[in-house]
Amino acid sequence: MPRIYVHPLPVRIWHWINALGFVAMIVTGFQIRYIGLIDLMSFRTAVVLHDWIGFVLIGNFFIWLLFYLFSDKIKVYHPELSPMKHFRQSFRQALYYGYGIFKGEPNPHHVSVYQKFNPMQSMSYQVIMLLLVPLQFWTGVLLWDVKRFSGMIDALGGVRVVDTAHVLIFIFFSGFIFIHVYLATLGHTRMAHIKSMFTGYEDIDEEHPAGR
Amino acid sequence: MGIGRSRLETTGTAFHTEFVVAVGIAVLAAVLTVASPRAGAAEGALSQLDQQCLACHSAEGLEKKLDNGEKLSMHVDGAAFEKSVHNKIGCPVCHANTSFENHPPVKTKISSVREYSLSQNKVCESCHAPILKLYESSIHAALLRSGNAYAPICTDCHSPHAVMAKAAYDKASGTPCSKCHDPIFKAYASSVHGNAGLDCSNCHRAHEVTAATAGDQLKDACLACHQGALDSHKTWLPNAGRHFDAVSCPACHSPKAKRRVDLRLYDNAAQQRVAEKKGVPQFESRIRLVDSKGSGLDAMALHSLLTGFNRDGTDNRTTLRGRLEVSDGVDAHRLVRSKGAIQDCAKCHRQGADPFQSVTVSIVGPDGRPVRYGAKPEVLNSMISVDSVGGFYAIGGTRIKLLDWLLALAVLGGIGVPLGHLTINWLVKRYAKRIGGKEDS
Repeated sequence: MPRIYVHPLPVRIWHWINALGFVAMIVTGFQIRYIGLIDLMSFRTAVVLHDWIGFVLIGNFFIWLLFYLFSDKIKVYHPELSPMKHFRQSFRQALYYGYGIFKGEPNPHHVSVYQKFNPMQSMSYQVIMLLLVPLQFWTGVLLWDVKRFSGMIDALGGVRVVDTAHVLIFIFFSGFIFIHVYLATLGHTRMAHIKSMFTGYEDIDEEHPAGR
Repeated sequence: MGIGRSRLETTGTAFHTEFVVAVGIAVLAAVLTVASPRAGAAEGALSQLDQQCLACHSAEGLEKKLDNGEKLSMHVDGAAFEKSVHNKIGCPVCHANTSFENHPPVKTKISSVREYSLSQNKVCESCHAPILKLYESSIHAALLRSGNAYAPICTDCHSPHAVMAKAAYDKASGTPCSKCHDPIFKAYASSVHGNAGLDCSNCHRAHEVTAATAGDQLKDACLACHQGALDSHKTWLPNAGRHFDAVSCPACHSPKAKRRVDLRLYDNAAQQRVAEKKGVPQFESRIRLVDSKGSGLDAMALHSLLTGFNRDGTDNRTTLRGRLEVSDGVDAHRLVRSKGAIQDCAKCHRQGADPFQSVTVSIVGPDGRPVRYGAKPEVLNSMISVDSVGGFYAIGGTRIKLLDWLLALAVLGGIGVPLGHLTINWLVKRYAKRIGGKEDS
């Protein structure tokens, strides 16, 4: 099967550090919030790990950001400016996952170097990478040292407000991570997309060579 | 009652009023002919004038029966007075209002012993104005101003006729503090500070004593000695600075104490706690409005209370700032060595933790002491509190229950959706085979 190089090395490095980091953040996040209910480690250990991994993830985020800012690959994140077109394509994609996939219909999205995301992915990752992840990092840093950032925290309505925002995004990621992993198994084989995130190469449908 | 019927008595022996008047006039005549109170007195010795006063007043049991039945002691221990710092100034400086006309017998009516002490207390200011100024800022003075005639005044701590420099406090008995705060002194005496031989005034100061839970004076007192405390806490305590702001020292360092959360009304514009305006009590009336049953504030009532404080175009300047503190002043003094302090984060950061089962809302009262009203513990876990209790949050311990449900839903959805999708896929394949169709996907 022909393949194209869609995941450059910096993106793959960022992705896997991010993946491991997010799992660790979710686990330590659960431990911090539900001590007594979950006892994998002490509260303090969980907090310290959560803090350190959080800073690693913030640094890692800049690998992703700088790569895309200084590369033409940023086009993969360009939004579809026609809402109607975007909606139509998203609906087709949703229909595929909800119905067509069971019938063995082909995926309506065809991966290319500058269009590696299907419309649903594109929208999701714009929101996640440009809104939710930075917001989570920001609220996380504020909560890391509440005293140091007390002025900003008070301006936002107080530590409980900041924490609630942090927890709401945590809740989203705690659910999203399962969906993300599952969707990654919906390639032409269960491991196809996952392998491509290691090798950088995505297998493409021979009928759609435009992807090259 | 006429002067002639004035009752000046020594224990067991009644003096004739005329005799007393004669002695008094003779003494005062001597007093007023002396140019200086210290004239003729050797250093440390009693002046001639003072000796003349003591001629009568050193008599054991000399006392005056007041109209209310109390007996005002007129006795002065001459030996103690001679040793006291007030020996240097002598009797007339403090008793300047005593003259031929009124001594003895006293024409001025004294309604009670306390009233006499209160009136004499003003004399102290003539020499000790800076100290009195400090005292005026104290909780003791505030209580006095609020009408509590038994609030501590100078002479309650400093025996005026035996006053010694820096000797008002007795380490062994804790007097004069223990006269009113005995249970606290007993708890303190067996604490790490008591064992180290500190005085009450080392933390509370002698004259500008503030209410324990008002302001930062006590925290500052802790940090004045334990200067490296913040840095040493930072080595193991995440968010140490925040803990120092939101948790009182005894909350951890008095490990067996009962704790509570005090939600303090805070004026963001003025950067200080909201205080009751004199003569315009607003806290109680606003509380009554939002909690007419008196069952304690729930989350909605607390929100309404805050809205009430912010109603008059104050631009949401009033907020709530929470502080985890020890409920009882006695417990607050049972401080232990740092090794015995609470270091287990789970003591507070778990759901249902003890400190969050008792919640109060407070304002600074007219006398400087907090005025508290009970709130239900649910105010710390309610979604409504995101707004009203924005300034206080302890991870785990005061987490919002609604978010727990949302998280459960998200995780179940995250697991359930793929499982459902896989199941449908499996069912489709199975039935496709059964009806002879080809296996897809």
